[in-house]
Amino acid sequence: MKPASFEYVRPGSLDEALDVLHERGDDAKVLAGGQSLVPMMNFRLARPAVLVDLNGLGDLAYIRPANGGLALGAMTRQRTIEKSAVVRERAPLLAEATPLIGHVPIRTRGTIGGSLVHADPAAEYPVVMVALDAEFTLARKGGTRRVAAADFFDTYLSTTIGPDEILTEIRMPSVAPRAAVAFVEISRRHGDFALVAAGTVVDVDGGGRIAEARIALGGVGPRPVRARTAERMLVGQRPTAALLAEAAASVMPDTDPPEDIHASAEYRREMSAVFTRRALTAALAKLGVQL
Amino acid sequence: MKLEGSHDISAPRQKVWEAFLDPEVLRQALPGCERLEAMGDDEYKATMKIGVAAVKGTFDGKVKLSDKTPPESYRMTVEGSGGPGFVRGSALISLSDIESGTRVSYSADVQVGGLIAGVGQRMLGGVTKMMADKFFGKMGELLHTAA
Repeated sequence: MKPASFEYVRPGSLDEALDVLHERGDDAKVLAGGQSLVPMMNFRLARPAVLVDLNGLGDLAYIRPANGGLALGAMTRQRTIEKSAVVRERAPLLAEATPLIGHVPIRTRGTIGGSLVHADPAAEYPVVMVALDAEFTLARKGGTRRVAAADFFDTYLSTTIGPDEILTEIRMPSVAPRAAVAFVEISRRHGDFALVAAGTVVDVDGGGRIAEARIALGGVGPRPVRARTAERMLVGQRPTAALLAEAAASVMPDTDPPEDIHASAEYRREMSAVFTRRALTAALAKLGVQL
Repeated sequence: MKLEGSHDISAPRQKVWEAFLDPEVLRQALPGCERLEAMGDDEYKATMKIGVAAVKGTFDGKVKLSDKTPPESYRMTVEGSGGPGFVRGSALISLSDIESGTRVSYSADVQVGGLIAGVGQRMLGGVTKMMADKFFGKMGELLHTAA
């Protein structure tokens, strides 16, 4: 397995990288951790004329508290996120999802920015971003713009990033300090892409009613799905097994799952309800709510 | 891979029938279609650039229309190959009247082979469906502007 020939550029600064993309964006591909792109190139499915390697840009790898939430540089390795105490404290859903990505060697090279721009419909990070309403900073020659996660993911392996843009920073807003999270998924083997993944954030107020509920699903369509109907059904209610089952069932019409040798569309749709319920139950259990 | 679906187009059935057999309209609606040339009776040569993100390929192929029952149904057979693999398929396309215009239903059996099928298997079904949606969406749009 060898890639088709390509030109390799390793810029020493972000500006230099943006210059290359400004001139050759349509023929170029940005290399972050390379855990998806390099195999695709080796299979010759992807044949970029120019590879712009961001691994020389050390200043794009950081984890910083910001406005009660968190700011992460796009080149931060997944393994670094997995081991970060500040991520566990300020973005627990991100912390819980990370160990489910591939395997340790993959997370050691794989970056958060690379995973988001690759936009695999079954990947964990896009689900986390959509659940938390994260915001992305995209840089291009002469400017930057901010895009909400909900407006970033377009379809299979496609986002609204331009060919001349680089994702530089991911901002996660603050979550209620009491809120509990859960990220659960089903895959054929550990480390495989999920058939269905569900990420939730739940908060219960002093009176025992659900104050906040966030639910996002992966693997059930061309991009991550935010289950707004289910969220509305939960907020203001006392959590019961019946309520959770009803809310979980309501996510099924929001899904448009693919069918392949691993699972039928019907199975994935069914699992989207099952795993929503399991994620909600797990998050509530962390708040001491037993159903 | 079996593929089934239907799309509603707000135009009368005769108009829809004509558009679905018009090579120029088809060329504009087929995702990534760069060339569609008549080769003879109801047979066309096509070049399509199809891809998702970094996975792109140019496919050369043939499109053949048969079993025409105007303005009700016809069969479309497609055969193409390119760098990432090959595509072979046959679709039965039927038109029926509905209140808001015409319902176009399709039932297709598609075979995809080569690299793209082996490596891209996980997303193949979804991407194929997405392209079918794009095609019918664009047909609806073209018919709408023409009306």
